[in-house]
Amino acid sequence: MATASGGSEFVDKFPDEAAIIKASFLIAFVSLGIGAFFGLIQALHRTNVLRVIDSADYYTLLTGHGVLLAIVFTIFFLCGVFHWAVARSLDRPAESALFSWAWVGLMTTGTVLATVAILGGLVPNLGMSADVLFTFYAPLQAHPIFYIGLAMFIVGTWLSGADWFLSYRAWRQDHPDERIPLQTFMVLTTMIMWYISTLGVAVSVVFFLIPWSLGLIESVNPLLTRTLFWYFGHPIVYFWLMPAYLLWYTVLPKLAGGRLFSDPLARVVFLLFLLLSTPVGIHHQYLDPGIAEGFKFIAMTNTMFLLLPSLLTAFTVVASVEHGARQRGGEGYLRWLGALPWRDPAFTGMALAGAMFAAGGFSGMINAGMNINYLIHNTLWVPGHFHLTVGTAVALTMMAGSYWLVPQVTGTKLYSRPIGLLQVIMWFVGMVFMSNAMHRAGLAGIPRRTAEPQYQNFEFLTPIGSIFELRVQIALGGTLLFLSVVLFLFNILLTSLGEESDRPVDSYLPEPLSGPEGSPRILDNLAMWTGIAAVLVVLAYTLPLAGIIQNGGGLFGGGLPVPATVSAGFDLVMTTVTSAFNTLWGVVA
Amino acid sequence: MPANADSQGDSGQADSPVDSIVGTADDGIVRELGHDDFDPVGTLVLVLIYMAILIGMWVFMYFVEFLGRGLTVVG
Repeated sequence: MATASGGSEFVDKFPDEAAIIKASFLIAFVSLGIGAFFGLIQALHRTNVLRVIDSADYYTLLTGHGVLLAIVFTIFFLCGVFHWAVARSLDRPAESALFSWAWVGLMTTGTVLATVAILGGLVPNLGMSADVLFTFYAPLQAHPIFYIGLAMFIVGTWLSGADWFLSYRAWRQDHPDERIPLQTFMVLTTMIMWYISTLGVAVSVVFFLIPWSLGLIESVNPLLTRTLFWYFGHPIVYFWLMPAYLLWYTVLPKLAGGRLFSDPLARVVFLLFLLLSTPVGIHHQYLDPGIAEGFKFIAMTNTMFLLLPSLLTAFTVVASVEHGARQRGGEGYLRWLGALPWRDPAFTGMALAGAMFAAGGFSGMINAGMNINYLIHNTLWVPGHFHLTVGTAVALTMMAGSYWLVPQVTGTKLYSRPIGLLQVIMWFVGMVFMSNAMHRAGLAGIPRRTAEPQYQNFEFLTPIGSIFELRVQIALGGTLLFLSVVLFLFNILLTSLGEESDRPVDSYLPEPLSGPEGSPRILDNLAMWTGIAAVLVVLAYTLPLAGIIQNGGGLFGGGLPVPATVSAGFDLVMTTVTSAFNTLWGVVA
Repeated sequence: MPANADSQGDSGQADSPVDSIVGTADDGIVRELGHDDFDPVGTLVLVLIYMAILIGMWVFMYFVEFLGRGLTVVG
C-alpha cells in the first residue's frame, strides 16, 4: 500500500479531487437524511405507534427509503471514497477535473429525476409515481422519468469508473513494473464487477422498462426483468460492501494503532468478489416458478462460495486490529480488546459495523440455503438481514469513516468526537433492536413490504416474547436510528463549517505487515480475471435466461411464467446453436 | 510510525490537542510488532467464539424448525 506521509493534507495536495469528493459526500448525506426520515415514518406506521400518512402512501416512502439509502447514499459515498483512494494511493490527480464533474453531474441529475418521480406519488394531481420499491422490476410500473433517472445514474457510475481507470493507465505508464497500489487495486476490481453486473439492469431498464413505461411496447416478460434485476441486484450488495471493505482493510488497522496483516490476502478477497458475486442472483428467486430447480441449486452453490472471501476478511481485519491492540500494550486472549481506541468514533463505528456484519453473515447463510430460505422468504426476516448488512456494516462504516475522511477533504477538524461516539453507539443499539425484532418477526411469519402487516382472523405467534414487544423494538430502533442520523448530519455540517486546521486529521496510513511483494504478480492481471468472471457469468446465466424467454412467451411476453425444467433452456440454446451452425455451414458449403 | 505514548494519559482521556482529532491511535503505541513478532491468537479465539455461536444457532434452529414440526419440508 502506498502511503501518504504527513505534512501536506489531502485537500492541499489535491484540491480538485477534494471538491469532487465533497460534492459526492454532500449528495450522499442529503439522501441519507431524507431516506432516514422516510424510514422513521415507516417504522412508526407499520407498528401502529404513529400514523401520519395513508397506508397507500407507504409504498412511496418505502421506495424512497430504499432508493435514496441503498442506491444514492451508498453509491455517492462510494464514489467519494474511491476518488479519494485512487488519488491518494496513486499519488496523482485525476486526468481531467471536467470529466470528474461530468460524472458527478450526470449521477446528480439522474438522482433528482428518480427522486422527483418517487415523491410525485405523494401528489396525486401530478399523475406521476414510482411506487416500485427498490426492486424495480415488472409488473410494477413507474413513471418513465424514474427509469430515465436511474439509467443516467448508472451511466454516471460507469463514467466514474472510467475516470479511475484513466488515472490508473496514466500511472502505469510512469510505473511499468510496480504492483498496483492496494487501494487502487480494490477500486478497479470493484468497478470491473460493477461493469459486468450493471449490464443486466441496463438491458432491463433501456430495452424493456423505459419503452414499456412510455407505452412503446405493450408488455414485458416479468420474469425476465426480474431475473435481469437480480443479476445486478445481488452484486450491488458487494458494490456497497467493497468501499466498507476498503476502509476496513486500509484504514481500520491504522485507527486501531496497527498495520494491515496481509496485502496479498486483501487482493485475493477482492478478486474472489469479482469472480463470485455476479453468478448468484438467482438465489433471490428460489420461489419463482419459471426457473428450474437445477439452476437454483447452482446459484445456491455459487452463493456458498461467497462465504470464503467474507471469512477471509473476518480473519484479516480482526488480526490487523489485534495487531494494533497489542502494539498499544494489549495482552491475553481477549483482554487486548480493551486496549483498542474505543473513544475514537471512527474506530468504534467501524468495529461495531464489523461485529454486526458477523451477525448478518449468519442470517445471510439462512437466506442463501435453498430449503431454509422457504421459511423466511418475503417475511420481515429479509429486511432484518439487510439492515445488518447494508444498514449497518456498510452505512455505519461510511458514517464512521466520514469522521476520518471529511476532515481530510475540508481541512477542518471534526466538530465533536464525543457526539460522533454517541452517534455510532446509538446506531448500533438502534439496529440491535430493529434487526433483532425483524428477524424474530420473520420467523413468526410476519410479511415484509406492507403497511398493514396483519391478517384478519389470524394471530402471529412467537416462541419467545410477544408480537407487541417486537413492534415496540422496531419503533424504538427506528427512532434511535433516525436520531443517530440527525446527530451525524449535525456533526458533519458543523465540521464542514469549522475553521481550517493545520492538522485536521491524522491521515498517515502505515505499510502492511505483509506487503504485495510476497504475492504472485498474476493477482494484478486484471484482464485475465475479468475474462474468467465473464465466463462464469455466461455459464451461470445462459441456460436460465434461455428458459425464461422460452417459458415466459419470448422477450416481450406478458404471459405468466410456468413451472420450468432445465431442459427448456437447454432446448432453446441447442436450437439456436444448431440453427446458427446450419446457417454457417450453408454459407461455407 | 509516530510513537508518542506520553501524550496520552492512563485513562485514555484527551489530555492533549492531538487527541482531539480522529485517527490518533498511533500516539498510544508502546511497542512495535513486526510480522514475525505477531501471533494473532486473539483473532483465533474470536473466530472460535463466532463458530461456536453459529453451530449453536444451527442446532437450535434444527430443534425449533424441524424436530418440533415434523418433516414438513419433505412431506
